[in-house]
Amino acid sequence: MLQNLREKALSPYSILGLGFSILLLTSVFPFLVLFFKSFYSGDGGSFTLEHMESLLKSPSTLKALTNTILISALTAILSLFLALPLSWVLTRTNIPFSKQLRSWFCFPYAIQPYIGAIAWIYLANPSNGLLNNIFGAGTFNIYSYAGLIWVMSSFFYTFILLVLLASLDRMDSSLEEAARLSGASPIRIFFQITLPLITPALASGILLVTLAAAASFGVPAMIGTPARIFLMTTKIYLFQKMGSMNGIYMAGSLSLVLLVLAGITLFLSQWIQKKWSFQSVSGKVSRPTLVELGKWKTPILILLLFMLFVLFGLPLLGILIASLNKVQGVWSFDNLGFQNFYRVIFEMNETGRALWNSTYLGVTAATTATVLGMMLAYIQHKTRIKGRRWLDILAGLPYSTPGTVVALAFIMAFSGKFLGIFPSLYNTLGILWLAYMTKYLSFAVRTTGDGFGQIQDSLAEAARVSGASWWETLKTIWFPLMKPSLVAAWFLIFMPCFGELTMTILLSGPGIETVGTLLFQLQEYADASGGGSAVLSLIVVAIVMLANLIVKRASHGKYGL
Amino acid sequence: MSSVYFKNVGKFYGTTEVVKNFNLEVKDGELITFLGPSGCGKTTSLRLVSGLEKNSSGEIRIDEDLVSSPETNHFVPPEKRHIGMVFQSYAVWPHMNVFNNVAYPLKIARMSRTEIQDRVSEVLEMVQLNGLEKRMPNQLSGGQQQRVALARGLVSRPRVLLLDEPLCNLDAKLRGKMRRDIRKIQQDLKITVIFVTHDQIEATTMSDRMVIMNEGSIVQVGSPSEVKDKPANDFVADFLNQD
Repeated sequence: MLQNLREKALSPYSILGLGFSILLLTSVFPFLVLFFKSFYSGDGGSFTLEHMESLLKSPSTLKALTNTILISALTAILSLFLALPLSWVLTRTNIPFSKQLRSWFCFPYAIQPYIGAIAWIYLANPSNGLLNNIFGAGTFNIYSYAGLIWVMSSFFYTFILLVLLASLDRMDSSLEEAARLSGASPIRIFFQITLPLITPALASGILLVTLAAAASFGVPAMIGTPARIFLMTTKIYLFQKMGSMNGIYMAGSLSLVLLVLAGITLFLSQWIQKKWSFQSVSGKVSRPTLVELGKWKTPILILLLFMLFVLFGLPLLGILIASLNKVQGVWSFDNLGFQNFYRVIFEMNETGRALWNSTYLGVTAATTATVLGMMLAYIQHKTRIKGRRWLDILAGLPYSTPGTVVALAFIMAFSGKFLGIFPSLYNTLGILWLAYMTKYLSFAVRTTGDGFGQIQDSLAEAARVSGASWWETLKTIWFPLMKPSLVAAWFLIFMPCFGELTMTILLSGPGIETVGTLLFQLQEYADASGGGSAVLSLIVVAIVMLANLIVKRASHGKYGL
Repeated sequence: MSSVYFKNVGKFYGTTEVVKNFNLEVKDGELITFLGPSGCGKTTSLRLVSGLEKNSSGEIRIDEDLVSSPETNHFVPPEKRHIGMVFQSYAVWPHMNVFNNVAYPLKIARMSRTEIQDRVSEVLEMVQLNGLEKRMPNQLSGGQQQRVALARGLVSRPRVLLLDEPLCNLDAKLRGKMRRDIRKIQQDLKITVIFVTHDQIEATTMSDRMVIMNEGSIVQVGSPSEVKDKPANDFVADFLNQD
């Protein structure tokens, strides 16, 4: 009887229904509200273009728009120049330690870019930056267009690198071997065979970076705002923090513009993929013949290590030194000590609260998203129910939507009495949890979907034939086999949620600190933060590294960096 | 047209020895097949000739040229060996049309435009693809892509043509025709061909001589009739009598 009931309750159709309801609530409803409230905000809810109009008439908003486009485009170009040569060296040459180098070059992907902003402010702020102490005052000024583009590129190049590595690894190596036997040199093979074949991947990587840069908030807020360089995300933040209803509407309207920008980028990316992609991916993956670097081996290795140092080592060293400095900006051994650690960990009340909130939110969001994602992936891969494609699309939409836009939509949808019954969620852990889960759900759908795809139905059928019930099959066959994917999905969601800033800063106010907002507050008093933000940044980096290690172990190297 | 010599050739992957003490002379103008079950080292031996893999020991010569000898640190890279090869997956470049695929080796060799034109049409006629110069690979059938790959392998008049299980992705009817066509082209051009296959029918119908391999070693070398009549051991007899 109970068995029967359970079986009915867990049938694919009820899962589909549940999944759809949740997705309607999280991926559709808030965006409809955002849309309507931006246009129907006149007297008594009448249609108005007032907010859009005043936005498009304001020179400062237009400046933010052009800044966003300019900075995103330049970030994409610089990222391309970092990632393209790297991807070739790492996949096609006999460079030593290629496996370790790969891991390290990809690692910034897992870290929130605003940590990089904090590090680079310690390194290159004009008044007492470490690099300016070494090379002479005024050599570097991080508060500039160049600084902004550099810090963003030093993280977002990983987007292109990861796409290229995947595409180069999957390429049928005989395509290049055939060119080799035709007498072509390695350089020639790269430009005439390899590059044309990876162009679709390259283009989509570039657009991905453009989108990520346009959507990013932490770096522009920490580096751009002090230099009075505003981007759309930081402008939206300013409008929203005005606190008035008008400010919210302006923020909402501007976020719609950002959404359109993101939509165009995504559309372009899809179009390129469809139009250009060649079926050059073979089923059988053979190892490509590696180009012998010969006498270039050592110089190239040294160059890579130097790049790694500038991209990764230097910022890490920067926050390490800043966290140990008793007085910021003074460079001597007497000035080193653990006072900052003591102060941040034991004396500041906010630290404990922030770490607890972030952990709590990360754990609950990761757990719920993984469970929901697995249900959706099950429907997608193991049933033939009509409309299952829609689940996938709906689950994926919020991830492609800039975090700022998601946050605005959630504010409009869930503050005030929701549907007249539920209490306002604004500035609660509840709305943060819901936003995190919504934004990163697609990670779970994709990862568990890969897992389901690898398990043949016959394994489960064999269990059923052996007498196991649906539930026992789930427990004894599916779950153990899915475990690596589930663990990977969980941590892949936990990592970005733990340090989330873009949505959190808009959705929470005083009293609800997370690691992200606390770091932001500490950094707002920039160089005066006295190493506090450096200590907290180190803690975040350490936790992300640990989580990444677990993902890598659990998935046997399939996920994680 | 050329001969290929293997002298005590060995190949290790890590600690696994995939080719063991391989000694063979491939004669000028013959079609020789490397036959054996999967994992027997036949494809690796072929790739050693092309230079896409490096042998761990022994010597490989093409005519008078020593192309690989690890003991003396001598290695001629694949692009300098003047060899044609047809891959199992065809490896027809999807972003180039038929003409550009086939003309590629000649362009690398900086031949004049008119010469390239002449050579490409000549070889396309040979593989019966004339008229399809402007087609892109995704507009071709599997059999036609196979012919593009073959034309590309032949166009630079290589010293040796290497074929790595070229027919295994084709359907049975097409396979029979391709077998005859390849054999005919080989005899017309009097070109030296090394043909790797796991299909004993293919090997016995096409080749002048066959090399039966198992677990990295040569078990028997001889003409199809010799091997059929006097199999060296039970393995060869079993392998030839399957299906």
